[in-house]
Amino acid sequence: MKVAHYFLGFVIAGLLLQGCAFSRGTLGDDVKTEVVTAIQKGTTTKTEVVNLLGAPDRLLQLNGRDVFHYYRYDAKAGSLLLILLNFTRLSVKSDDVFIILNREGIVEEVISSKRTDNLGFRFWPFGE
Amino acid sequence: MKDVRKKTIPLLVAVMVCLPFMGCNVARVTLNTTLTPESVAFIVPGKTTLSDVVTKLGAPDTITDADSGVVATYRFLDMKYSRVNLGWLAKPWTPVDPDLIFSRTGLGVDEFQVFCNPNWVVVQQGFQRSVTRPPFHPYPF
Repeated sequence: MKVAHYFLGFVIAGLLLQGCAFSRGTLGDDVKTEVVTAIQKGTTTKTEVVNLLGAPDRLLQLNGRDVFHYYRYDAKAGSLLLILLNFTRLSVKSDDVFIILNREGIVEEVISSKRTDNLGFRFWPFGE
Repeated sequence: MKDVRKKTIPLLVAVMVCLPFMGCNVARVTLNTTLTPESVAFIVPGKTTLSDVVTKLGAPDTITDADSGVVATYRFLDMKYSRVNLGWLAKPWTPVDPDLIFSRTGLGVDEFQVFCNPNWVVVQQGFQRSVTRPPFHPYPF
């Protein structure tokens, strides 16, 4: 009897999920929050930053200061393919970390945000 | 006879309602969260610092050097695409596979730029294009 229930549940789940498509794409390595929090303003050096996060994705110059930019993109697409009527939604968000170093090579400022944490698969294209 | 009519009418209404949606595709692409004038209203030039902006909006997509300081740029995109194939209406009655497609794509691309002085205090801010959000409608004319 239990097997019949499981089978029925499996069939219902299969029927509900038919015509659904999930796709995901990422660019860059995950920037771990604990690694970013380990970087201390006024003490951490350029070498330590490179040891912790690796070489930056972009190297900028701001007012004579070096800025290391690390980024990661995450894209999630959900599609509901109902043959006659199809809905697709692709959401892309990025994580960015900017580390501003002073002329002595010491971290002056850390600017970071992790937008991809609350990025989910969405199917409904309307609304927000 | 009344029973047949009772059953047929709702079915006919359902078919009539579904017909306009036949062969429809609706897609949307969003890049980062769309910023609005309301969401950046907290920025007061001369008072707000870049740290305050980052706390509320997150890290910018790019930071570039300018003569008077730095420019932090937030980029976002809201693309809407809709397509209807009216050829589907003729499919049951023709041996060929007819297509009559109307489609339209709206690209809501914009940037929000924050100009800061060398002390990281915001001196100016603004949207690059101030585009209105594109609607979902496949009629291209």
